[in-house]
Amino acid sequence: MIDNELKITLEQRVAAAVTPREAAVEVMKELQHHYGWLTDEALHEAANLLGLSPLQVEELATFYEMIYRRPVGRRVVHVCDSISCWAMGGETLLEQLAGRLGIGVGETTSDGMFTLLPCCCLGNCGQSPTMLVGDNLYGGLTLEKALDILQREREGIETK
Amino acid sequence: MPKLIIDNIPVEVTQGKTVLEAAKSVGITIPHFCWHPALGKAGACRVCAVKMVDGPVKGIQMSCMLEAQDGMVVSTTDAEAMAMRKQVIEWLMINHPHDCPVCDEGGECQLQDYTIAGGHGLRRYTGKKRTHVNQYLGPHIEHEMNRCIQCYRCVRFYQEFAGGTDFGVMGSAGRIYYGRVADGPLESPFAGNLVDICPTGVFTDKTARFRARYWDYDMAPSVCPHCSLGCNTVPAARYRELLKVIARQNDAVNGWFLCDKGRFTNSAVNAPERPRVPLIDGRQVAWEEALAALLLRIREIGTEYGAESLAIVGSSGLSMEAASLLHLLHEKTGAGSLCYFVDAGEAQQSATVTACLNEQASASMADIQAADLIALVECDLLQDGPMMALAVRQAWRRGAKISLVEDAAGTVAQNDNGLNSTDKLPFEVERVASLIDIPFADAAHPVIIFGGGDKMSEVMAEAGKTGAKLACLLGGPNSFGAALLAKEYGAISLAEAVADKKVRAVVSVEADIPPELLPKLVVVATLDWRNTETVKAAHIVLPTTAWVEMDGTYINNEGRAQRFKKVMQPGLPIKGLNPSLHPPREHTPLVPGGQSRPAWEILVDIVHRLGSEEDIQLFAGQWQRLRDLDATGNGLLLTDIERGIK
Repeated sequence: MIDNELKITLEQRVAAAVTPREAAVEVMKELQHHYGWLTDEALHEAANLLGLSPLQVEELATFYEMIYRRPVGRRVVHVCDSISCWAMGGETLLEQLAGRLGIGVGETTSDGMFTLLPCCCLGNCGQSPTMLVGDNLYGGLTLEKALDILQREREGIETK
Repeated sequence: MPKLIIDNIPVEVTQGKTVLEAAKSVGITIPHFCWHPALGKAGACRVCAVKMVDGPVKGIQMSCMLEAQDGMVVSTTDAEAMAMRKQVIEWLMINHPHDCPVCDEGGECQLQDYTIAGGHGLRRYTGKKRTHVNQYLGPHIEHEMNRCIQCYRCVRFYQEFAGGTDFGVMGSAGRIYYGRVADGPLESPFAGNLVDICPTGVFTDKTARFRARYWDYDMAPSVCPHCSLGCNTVPAARYRELLKVIARQNDAVNGWFLCDKGRFTNSAVNAPERPRVPLIDGRQVAWEEALAALLLRIREIGTEYGAESLAIVGSSGLSMEAASLLHLLHEKTGAGSLCYFVDAGEAQQSATVTACLNEQASASMADIQAADLIALVECDLLQDGPMMALAVRQAWRRGAKISLVEDAAGTVAQNDNGLNSTDKLPFEVERVASLIDIPFADAAHPVIIFGGGDKMSEVMAEAGKTGAKLACLLGGPNSFGAALLAKEYGAISLAEAVADKKVRAVVSVEADIPPELLPKLVVVATLDWRNTETVKAAHIVLPTTAWVEMDGTYINNEGRAQRFKKVMQPGLPIKGLNPSLHPPREHTPLVPGGQSRPAWEILVDIVHRLGSEEDIQLFAGQWQRLRDLDATGNGLLLTDIERGIK
């Protein structure tokens, strides 16, 4: 359940959009922020807010890779697998990160900290290979650098 | 009008047509999956590649996406284009399961055809195939997502064309999935079209699952009998069982599609309780005996109550052939009443519509699709003519304004059943209080759709004044024809005949006598193929053939006569027969339960036995034009003279 305050905020955003569908991504992101991932409950709430059917919201939710329809860890690690990063060793980086975290791609670490996902271009080709941890973008990665970043992200969360 | 050359053939097409359509117009079929005449282009499958040799565009192009232009020189047989098509087929087949032998689409599968045509016979891909979990989509449609080639036809039909919101496409790239959020029956009343429109076996007809192959079917062009619109169909039968119904293209009527009511409510044809043998008081007899008994009973009624107490009753579901002979039975028996309708309201409505609806004013479904202003008056489209709702949606998608006239109380007009499905209509409506509030004068192609009711005269007057075309929903597949005959022979409805005169007995020809009238009447005989209450109440039952078991004619709601052809032999379906009785051990020229005869044939027989010497011709006099009706054309729109309008 979302509280009334969030509901009103979202309703206002939908009302301000030219067509309700236009506000769909924003509504889904807000609800995802609220629940941690886009739960079935959130899907139906989004549908009600947007005046779309749950299926129509699901079409959008499953299209965007940063809308999570399954539970994720506290930080999602998106490793770019598009052409520039791939050419600069992004594929190896993803595999090695999976090995070091002890999980498969698409899985979450047992402490619930990280979920590892491949993603398409992050627009950071100049500093490939690149990854996004939560909302933070990192480039020019090696395995060591990436592990170091994850360690810092972990500490950042734990000290909060 | 652009002129182009395709495979050395000069082609001229109308502006806006694609290269694919231009090729089609001269008999060159370019392979395609995602392009569909009713849905247009998507550019999703990449299989319609051609080589543009010269002109404004050069090189390999998708012919479905490219508008035909002056000076184009196209080659469909170019080596590079052929190689591309061949490779695309191979890609599309990468994830496709090798389950054709157990797939219902096998034999009627576009993917199968083009794979073979493209020469792809040996799998080179050795990796894992993408797999999906299927969903339960209700009792009518089987889902098998692994077969999907991502052409988007289903979702384009379901959401864009038909306005459904519970089925769509999820995911992205190689993971896309066509389905619902969760298992459950598809909500759209047009969902059955997914079966026809899917170029492979993702959606197949569950009601005919694992029953027969395409080449086994008994098929013929037919017409749907479930409402007055007369949508064109191809019923498919095997072993005397009607398996499924497929939509048949008719651009003037139903386009490419069919509603679920027309597609999935045909089990009565196969029903084990169907009357298949002549009966006298429940006893199975030969035709000869039954007909002799009928003559005797009619004579007895004459001596007991007087011949004028007898009513001959037809219905709006009766084929035009049989309906146009009813008056002969009426004359020869000396019966007091001749009725083409049972219900007074239906008779009245059909009579008014046929009296006013001239050839010019009558709106076809194509006219509705092309309209820019549509008024809905006292109609429940999804109940009484779902395909018309689909036609209105197409007009609405093109920007037409749809107005719904509310009745005086401010509520939405309801039909006799109190049903109100206007909330589920697949288009937006503007509610207005009266026809006068609708700006017909501003519209170039206005149409009024009328469901029948008290406002008839008002609607007619408004249509006449504004020049709006008119489409009316009637009760049955031949209501129009029945109403014309009723007018010609001065017939009244059975309800009125019972109220007015002393009707004591009836001969019912595929009519449903309402339960409140049944106890008051002696049902001398019932000619029917369904096991109705009227059949159960009849002294003599004469089994007729269903519409799929004979040739016949219906005249639809706009006055369009359409011929349907015999699809299958009448008889007990082999499925469900006691295995010890099949094949029959006794030699007879008839199949088990195959004694049913077309109603018109039985009527001719009875009339002859009643002493008529004349050679009875079907469609004599003003109906002559119906004799040579082609079942595969657009039918025949009755002229004003044939409609009895001066």
